[in-house]
Amino acid sequence: MEEKIKELGLSEEELFAPVDHSLAESEKITAPRYSYWKSVFRVFFRNKVNIVILGLLVFMILFAYIYPTLVEYDPYANLLDPNSKHLSPSAAMAYFGRNIHWILGAGASGEPTFDAIWNGSRISISLAIICGAINMTVGVLVGAVWGFSKKVDAFMMEVYNIVGNVPTILIISVLAMLFSPTFWTMVFALTVVGWIGIAYFIRTQVIIIRDREYNLASRCLGTSTVKIAMKNILPFMTSVIVTLLATEIPSYISYEVFLAYIGMGMSDMSLGRLIYAAEGAMVTPGWEFEFWSPVAIASVITVVLYVVGQNLGDASDPRTHM
Amino acid sequence: MGKYLLKRLLHGAFSAICVVLIVMILIYSLLDRSTILAGDPNYSKIQSNARVSYEQSRYETFGYTDYVPYSDYITQLARDGEIDDETRSSAVLLGRTPDRDSEISAEYVAKFTEYYTSRGYTITRLDADTKSNGQVKSGGQTALFATRDKPLINRAITYFTNMLFIDNIHYVPDEVDIGKRGLTFTLYDPVKNPEGSDKKVFSPAIIGNGTLHKYLLYIDGTFPYIHQNLLTLNLGESYTVNRGTDVFTTMTDSQGSYVLKPTTFPTGLKEDSADDLHTATYSAGAREGNSVYADRFTDDYANVRTYKTGMSKLGFSFVIGIISTILAYFLGLPIGLLMALRKDKLIDKIGTIYIMFIIAVPSLAYIFLFKSVGGKLFGLPTLFNVDSKDKWMFVLPIISLALPSIANLMKWMRRYMIDQMNSDYVKFARSGGLSEGEIFTKHIWKNAAIPIVHGIPGSIIFAMTGAIITERVYSVPGAGNLLTQAINKYDNSVIVGVTLFYAVLSVISLILGDILMSTVDPRISFSTKGR
Repeated sequence: MEEKIKELGLSEEELFAPVDHSLAESEKITAPRYSYWKSVFRVFFRNKVNIVILGLLVFMILFAYIYPTLVEYDPYANLLDPNSKHLSPSAAMAYFGRNIHWILGAGASGEPTFDAIWNGSRISISLAIICGAINMTVGVLVGAVWGFSKKVDAFMMEVYNIVGNVPTILIISVLAMLFSPTFWTMVFALTVVGWIGIAYFIRTQVIIIRDREYNLASRCLGTSTVKIAMKNILPFMTSVIVTLLATEIPSYISYEVFLAYIGMGMSDMSLGRLIYAAEGAMVTPGWEFEFWSPVAIASVITVVLYVVGQNLGDASDPRTHM
Repeated sequence: MGKYLLKRLLHGAFSAICVVLIVMILIYSLLDRSTILAGDPNYSKIQSNARVSYEQSRYETFGYTDYVPYSDYITQLARDGEIDDETRSSAVLLGRTPDRDSEISAEYVAKFTEYYTSRGYTITRLDADTKSNGQVKSGGQTALFATRDKPLINRAITYFTNMLFIDNIHYVPDEVDIGKRGLTFTLYDPVKNPEGSDKKVFSPAIIGNGTLHKYLLYIDGTFPYIHQNLLTLNLGESYTVNRGTDVFTTMTDSQGSYVLKPTTFPTGLKEDSADDLHTATYSAGAREGNSVYADRFTDDYANVRTYKTGMSKLGFSFVIGIISTILAYFLGLPIGLLMALRKDKLIDKIGTIYIMFIIAVPSLAYIFLFKSVGGKLFGLPTLFNVDSKDKWMFVLPIISLALPSIANLMKWMRRYMIDQMNSDYVKFARSGGLSEGEIFTKHIWKNAAIPIVHGIPGSIIFAMTGAIITERVYSVPGAGNLLTQAINKYDNSVIVGVTLFYAVLSVISLILGDILMSTVDPRISFSTKGR
């Protein structure tokens, strides 16, 4: 043993020097700093599939917003040309020349289907994001209050029971007839009662967490309700809210498609309107592209949004951060 | 439990009434009523004052206003015996302007104005519309009428008080001579025992005279075999969707082409007819000037429904809905279970992808996908035909409805199972030495099924309201499209009726769900107060 110490070539003092003891230093935790959102993204990007899908989503959104501003799209430009209507991709390219506009053929009034679907995607994505933002904000805020206060709960349950039984289609069609069926009317119609479902969902979640033991303890220690809401409950809700957002945003695109199909959509040529307008083309040989391309693009957008949202929701659950 | 249920039912009734009020506000007060005239071919043909009167009469038929033209008022006076025929014919004539009215008409115009102003009506008088040469334009005759918007509260009260109609022997107005009023009970139904037939068929029936329906209780060979007409539901009379018919009848009446059966009419006339004599209702003066009725019926109970080949709207929706619901439960629950048991294995991953597909992709897109795949690859019929007996046409709508509900059930079953599998009592049971199979069948499955059970009554009841997209895509003549159809055709009373129907169904299904849940799980009790 002593030989080994001698081998180190150190003096006796150096080997056993007392270390300064600092009280402040001992309080510090040596574990790496934990940042919630950094961990969320670390977990999210750990899965390579997520990177691919997020890339696809970003590409689609950027394309939907940038492409229509770069090309001039006039759906009625070829209206008077009888040879330009309902062309298959190959026929359209033979007729108009080889460029990107015609790779999906031409529609009922000779418009390039490719331009039409991206224009439609832009409208549909905007609608979904705006409605999602409004409904989620109002829904989460109202839901939090709803879950916390027993008086508000009794009142809001009545409202929910009544409003929930008024058919949404009726409200939307009444509003669409009251005002003209523009983009903003549609936003109004989808948000005027849309928030209540989200608020109800949040209310249930708040009630589940509200009465947990740690909140009871916190209340006994004298924490204010606002602080309990912000510090104890909100962090728990983040993953729930993100997961909900993931189902909500695509659902507006789907719902818009549905409304357009039953003839209650908006006047703008959104994806839903394109599908509605091209329904007859589905069964006509050679015209299928007109119908299936907006259907396909709507499906791809909604699936990508949903997958990204779900995985982000999973990643925002702190239990996965280990 | 009984008290609790009563409270729930009253609560549900209150919600349903509020829903009807909201819908009434939406459609009668907020909507621009002139849209109903936009698609009216007659409206554009009529000119001048007649056009204004026509507009008002349309508003009345669609239920917006009360509208009384002056001539109706005078005719009513004459009918009540207040004025004689001579006064009537001179009073009803109006001058081109108020100061050119004859003395007698001026008197009655003043009475008319006073009577209806006191009742909150607005009186409108349109002077004759003349050409430059002094001739009255076509449709330009003087018009005088009183109108009033129906107040919401009155509308709602009349709606709810008229909803249940109890047939009584004073239904036919008292001044009509219809013979001895009353109900008679017979053991030998006259429809099945026409006069002159040899053998008697035993079939009890209650026949009314003076009532709306002739047969108040009878037995026949169609479901549900014993039929009653004593109490009828009146949800609102349709105007454009199915003219003159109640919403409920519209939903429950059979559709398709007529089924002719050898029928003996009360007069003894025998022919092949689709008329269902049991459904005869009173129609005032039916036989006068109508030889078809006069040849067949001995009284004015001549308004009959007909036998048709197809099912009713509710029937079609229910058959498709119920089969797909059963399919969904029989497939969705076991697959969800299997996914939970083989978590993160292949079957779980495939199932998750399928669930994701159904949730994310717009329903329209996958229904069209099923339609084209089913039609092209399997040669299944993609369009519905009411008269066809082909059972294959049901396949695609059923699949289209079942696949999304399967995904939904799979999702929840998997979620509940996994939640239960991670709970403490399962670990305890395992440490106590129970086999995995026992834990599974005796503990996890029972607990996971409770929330699923809650939804069963709802999915069965809502199977009959039909699905909008599926029925549209496959052109199923079901009930799902009734609401959208009514909205597009401004059929206000149908909108109200259908909404009320849906609201009541949703209240009932929630209550039934709670009852079923508390029977399955004895821990859940609604009668005792929470701790």
